[in-house]
Amino acid sequence: MIRAKVCAAAISLTFSAGLNAPIHAAAALQEAPQAAVETTDAVTDYDVIYAPAMRAPEATRAVLTEIAATSEQQVAVGDYGVIVTRQLGTDEWQQAEVPSSIFLTSVDFADAKLGWAVGHHGVILQTQDGGRTWQPQLDGFEYIDLQVAHYEQRVAQLEEQLANAEDMDPVEREDLEFALDDALFKYDSAQIALEEGPTKPFLDVLALSPQEIFVTGAYGAFLHSTDGGESWSIIDHLVDNIDGFHLNAIQAHGDYVYMVGESGLLFRSSDRGVSWETLDSPYYGSFFGVHIDQQERLWIYGLRGNIFVSEDQGDSFTQLSLEDPVNINNAIDAPNGGLYFVGNAGVVAYLSDSGELTEKTHDSGAVLTDLVINADGSLTLVGQRGILTMPSSALAEKE
Amino acid sequence: MSEQQSQAKDKSVFLERVIFNFRPFWMVLFALLTLFLGWHASQVRPEASLTKMIPTNHPFIQNYFEYRDDLASLGNVVRIVVETTDGTIFTPEFQKTLQEITDEVFFIPGVDRAGLKSIWTPNVRWSEVTEEGFVGGPVIPDNWDASERSLEQLRTNVLRSGEVGNLVANNFKSALIYVPLNEVNPDTGEALDYQAFSEQLEEKIRDKYQTETVKIHITGFAKIIGDLIEGAMQVGLFFLLAIVITLVMLFAYSRCWRSSFTVLGCSIIAVIWQLGIIKLIGSGINPYSMLVPFLVFAIGVSHGVQIINAMSANRVDGHDREMSARLAFRALYIAGLTALISDAIGFTTLMVIDIAVIQELAIAASIGVAVVVLTNLGLLPIIMSYGGISERGRAYSERVRNQDHPVLTMFERFSEPKWAYSALVVALIGLSWGLIQGQNMKIGDLDAGAPELRPDSRYNLDNQFIVDNYSSSTDIFVVMAATEPSQCIAYDNLEVMDRFSWHMENTPGVQDVKSVVYVAKMGGYALNEGNLKWFSLNRNQYVLNANTGRTPPGLINPDCSMAPIIIYLNDHKAETLKTVVAAVDNFNAQYQQEGLELLMAAGNSGIEAATNSVIETAQYKMLLWVYGVVIVLVFITFRSLRTVACIVLPLALTTIMSQGLMAVLGIGVKVATLPVIALGVGIGVDYGIYIYAKIKEGLERGMHLNECYKYALDNTGKAVGFTGLTLAIGVATWIFSPIKFQADMGILLTFMFLWNMLGALILIPALARLFARFGKRIH
Repeated sequence: MIRAKVCAAAISLTFSAGLNAPIHAAAALQEAPQAAVETTDAVTDYDVIYAPAMRAPEATRAVLTEIAATSEQQVAVGDYGVIVTRQLGTDEWQQAEVPSSIFLTSVDFADAKLGWAVGHHGVILQTQDGGRTWQPQLDGFEYIDLQVAHYEQRVAQLEEQLANAEDMDPVEREDLEFALDDALFKYDSAQIALEEGPTKPFLDVLALSPQEIFVTGAYGAFLHSTDGGESWSIIDHLVDNIDGFHLNAIQAHGDYVYMVGESGLLFRSSDRGVSWETLDSPYYGSFFGVHIDQQERLWIYGLRGNIFVSEDQGDSFTQLSLEDPVNINNAIDAPNGGLYFVGNAGVVAYLSDSGELTEKTHDSGAVLTDLVINADGSLTLVGQRGILTMPSSALAEKE
Repeated sequence: MSEQQSQAKDKSVFLERVIFNFRPFWMVLFALLTLFLGWHASQVRPEASLTKMIPTNHPFIQNYFEYRDDLASLGNVVRIVVETTDGTIFTPEFQKTLQEITDEVFFIPGVDRAGLKSIWTPNVRWSEVTEEGFVGGPVIPDNWDASERSLEQLRTNVLRSGEVGNLVANNFKSALIYVPLNEVNPDTGEALDYQAFSEQLEEKIRDKYQTETVKIHITGFAKIIGDLIEGAMQVGLFFLLAIVITLVMLFAYSRCWRSSFTVLGCSIIAVIWQLGIIKLIGSGINPYSMLVPFLVFAIGVSHGVQIINAMSANRVDGHDREMSARLAFRALYIAGLTALISDAIGFTTLMVIDIAVIQELAIAASIGVAVVVLTNLGLLPIIMSYGGISERGRAYSERVRNQDHPVLTMFERFSEPKWAYSALVVALIGLSWGLIQGQNMKIGDLDAGAPELRPDSRYNLDNQFIVDNYSSSTDIFVVMAATEPSQCIAYDNLEVMDRFSWHMENTPGVQDVKSVVYVAKMGGYALNEGNLKWFSLNRNQYVLNANTGRTPPGLINPDCSMAPIIIYLNDHKAETLKTVVAAVDNFNAQYQQEGLELLMAAGNSGIEAATNSVIETAQYKMLLWVYGVVIVLVFITFRSLRTVACIVLPLALTTIMSQGLMAVLGIGVKVATLPVIALGVGIGVDYGIYIYAKIKEGLERGMHLNECYKYALDNTGKAVGFTGLTLAIGVATWIFSPIKFQADMGILLTFMFLWNMLGALILIPALARLFARFGKRIH
């Protein structure tokens, strides 16, 4: 076979010999403004956090990271604060009004109207109208203030606990000392960040309900809101991530919530995120996503084509390997049973109900990070080249 | 000597005495000067220098020159594509050929060997992320043995390397060798000889390796220049062709070999002098000013014809050789000088255009015309005074004089009211056509690829092949992001540059934007396990520095004070370039980051944008100057506004119609076509001056307008017709030039010379008729 793919990080940047030509998204923006004209006053202190996203005729060609489907629309987010929405049953993508130009990494909806998007520079945005307009709920500078206050309080709390725990079990005491060290370190980091500015991206958002939202991010960032994002609290102490590895993805099913991350991190909560346990990881490489399918099987996947499935809520796993050792970024249920996976180098894989695996490469060869299925069975893909499409027949032809 | 002749000699003017009383002296002097200048002329080599073709004082170009050295590695590159028409590139035979060509190219002088890239060079590697980090290696497997296994490994490595679309075609049927050039040879310090380099590519690569199944395609600036110079060499053949055709015409006109060769010889001497002088003043000949020898030759011939025309008339009248020559000189030197001076002044107006090649052309043409004064008004009568018109020529001239030529009779009709008004109606139709079509006239180059060469030239076909099979646009507009030293990848600057990139990507006509910002974002992605969610800039400067660690040379300059932002365009049409320039201006007006300047412009499209903007304004400026000068000149000569109108209106008609023609033929207003109008008008006004001078003379003698016109036609009309034809033929050979802009110049000049001639012969009498009637009504 001669189907080796450009692997995860094809970082040979050969500008000199010309760069990849852009691939046009199949869907065009409905109202493409002629030129990107913005405010008239000159901006002298540009900060990507506070600059509203530019009206972009080519918004569907921006790098996009995630796409969410609600009962009414599809919403994709990505670079330059681009959020594009499309009403179900229509072809036109419309660019949303977004108050920030940061690189958005994730989007999730609690219902058809209420949703959240997160991204770099510690930004959390909320929409109440199905993705047309967005409001800021947190930015990186506020997040740093939050961290300073949180770790300060936590250090005080832990110090008090230690002071009041003279007759404590030595193991428990050691744990407390450990937690204090960790909190002190994070407090110091937050102090440094006050100078440096926000540098840690959020990587995933999960809207458990209209009130309850989880946000995960780089270097172990883990936030929680119980008031629809009005206020946020830092809950990274709930998981055992002393190395501060990236928390790449979070997903829920019933009372179970799963979280995966860098270097094989795998956490499970069976009480909707109140308490967390670390599971034995089947892999020491990074996981980029987690998915629970129609048959309540748990799928986790990541680096180099590694896919694992568990039928017992993550207590044990079996491995499924793709022919192409590329990063697997996301998975969704296929309408007639089975699953779709997408990954780097344009890989789209279909795993049928009966366990047959079909792999295809999108013509663009672009990194694919997420997908949704349209009413006609075709796939809308997002990634390095914005919005792309693939007919369902490309993969499900065997059925 | 007859009494008549001695009387005639007594009326001799000063200039005539200076020339004819010292004939041997002048002959020797001219011979020596011709030898001297001929030796210099033989040293003239065609050259094509980029800096001369662009408006060096335009701010874009000034910015470009500021960073020229830093940008060199981006621009001066040759791409060699090796294509197999038989299967894919993954065969032992193809790889062997590719390897050999890569090695061959390595040793061609001028190649920047460290930057040379093909899948056979060790600097092209594949890499991937594993649980342990990066792994990678050269694309050609270490244990390459051309076996099936090796080829399979190669294929895998190529896919992993990310070079598909760059060094390997999207369809795997060809591979590319990327050849950066050293502008200056680092060993010898000599400037790169583009022509020699281009020849080496042909000889050592194309000729040697192209077979039935292996095709070679070569593109790059050096190749364009090489092809331009090679094409320009062919123009030498056109010159020979023009000489032969002219000789035939001269003989047909005079039926006298002696005078035909004399006129030809004197005109060639004028060309030799002109070339010798431009060499002496340190100027050269470029593909644009190459037109000048043709013009000088044709102008020389046309004035020479006037002299021998007059001489044979004098011979018919019974004067001896010397006297015929003297009388011819006496009769024509004022008209000739006036005409030539108006030519020269017309050409000089080109100096208002701030582009070196056009100015060189203006200087060369002015020198040429000045030389024609000496050779064809001075030397020619002297030679003819020895040689004289042959008996056959004299007899022919006598015969022609006594019969009405059918063509002349036809032209004479245009002073009759019916014909005159019909002609004016036709002219009005032509004018409307020109005005309507002229609306569609475009600025700049309109064809894809290298606009200097023909769309179906080998270069442009090669270029099209690369555009079709590789992921690259050849229309590149570069904005230079200038910062304080070592600040080119500072977070704040990169963030603004990133927004700028997105702003430009959303500008119509832009395909893609790449710069160090893209490298930084790709670095974030690559260094975070190939997770696209990290494709962003990080506020932490250390992280940014790490992410930009693999920046290819050329995307930041050595002291990190400038990073080019490369904007790939759909095409280089003037509107596209205008939109892009406006978008950059718009961004600069909106975002003012301290310590960061986004400067336009480099890249072929950036330079073209600057050229277009200069040409657009120069176009009107030049027309104003040319017509201003012509009107003043005609007014001084004739002291009558009505005469000015009679002479200038036909010229204006030609100008407007040629604009219509440009629109219809898809010829844009550009460096090459801008001078054409000045040349056309400058030379065109001669005809009007000659004809109107005679009409006026007739009117003063109390002739009826019809008679005046017949008188004018008999005396100068024939020569005007001949002049128009010789000039048109001289430049028409250019239509066959392999260089597109020379062909465009040829088409337009041929049109203008012929149309100006017809305009003078038809519209001047028609307008005179109209004004005469109009004048009567007033009285």
